[in-house]
Amino acid sequence: MILPYLGQSFKNLFSKPVTEAFPVGDAPKAAEGYRGRLHYDPELCINCGMCMRVCAPQAITREIVPLENGDQKITFTYDMTSCTFCRMCSDFCAKKAITLTDDYLIVGSAHEDFLVTGTFIKTAPPKPKFTPEQLEAMKKAAAAKKAAAAAAAGEAEKPEEKPAAEAAAKGEE
Amino acid sequence: MLQNMIDNSMKKSPWIFHINAGSCNGCDIELVSVLTPRYDAERYGFKLCGSPRQADIVVVSGPITMQSRERLRRTLAQVPEPFCVVSLGSCPRSGNVFKGSYAIDGPLEKYVHVDVSVAGCTPKPEAIIAGLAQAAELLEKKRKEARK
Repeated sequence: MILPYLGQSFKNLFSKPVTEAFPVGDAPKAAEGYRGRLHYDPELCINCGMCMRVCAPQAITREIVPLENGDQKITFTYDMTSCTFCRMCSDFCAKKAITLTDDYLIVGSAHEDFLVTGTFIKTAPPKPKFTPEQLEAMKKAAAAKKAAAAAAAGEAEKPEEKPAAEAAAKGEE
Repeated sequence: MLQNMIDNSMKKSPWIFHINAGSCNGCDIELVSVLTPRYDAERYGFKLCGSPRQADIVVVSGPITMQSRERLRRTLAQVPEPFCVVSLGSCPRSGNVFKGSYAIDGPLEKYVHVDVSVAGCTPKPEAIIAGLAQAAELLEKKRKEARK
């Protein structure tokens, strides 16, 4: 009757303990596809704001600071104490700037320990050479020039016609 | 000498009291699994106790609902000084997906100073053990300061 149990206990004598030695040794690896601490790559971000839209607990904030030369300094902040780790932001990110790592040891006292931030500078598009007013003025000037040229040509043609007409009249006489 | 002995034994047995302030039970299950043979936090003396009067570390989970608010306040008032507060998961720190609800009166920071936070929804048992270990260290420091 106790033979099967004896076998089990004999096996257990030589097997490793089930208990993880964690706080002493290294943390064991998380399972594949585990959704842990978020990783944000500001180099890839295009500031579309899709992650903020799909975030259910509103854990994502964005700060836009306009710079003097027309550029914008954009800072995204992901609050891990507010995150549900649903991976919606990562799924909706068109540029794959957000990924969820397998780092699950998100422990700390200060609020800063839980923030994942990234900053990038969005450069302004190159300024056009002329303003619309200047372009309008240039167009007007060009039209005036053309009209003047046409008028000059008309005047130049008339004197030529006149002698010919006179000559014809003379010939008739 | 006797005081030394007591200090040493206190260091090795930080008892936990768990308050569920409207949690979805995810964090609660993980906290209980921390005490099971696989993760076995009890080898470091972390023992779940039944009364806040015996607790050294208070673990709070859940986004502090209106119903649990008064009970949370009353329970925290019964814990003897010095004690540590550990917030479990995202809910006590921010309200998580329940943020802005009329039934929520968080965050936990409003009622008591949170010493250690374990983020995650839910945190892995290893993360909880790491948080508890950090809280135990803090508790020791607090005890020393209180003795001075």
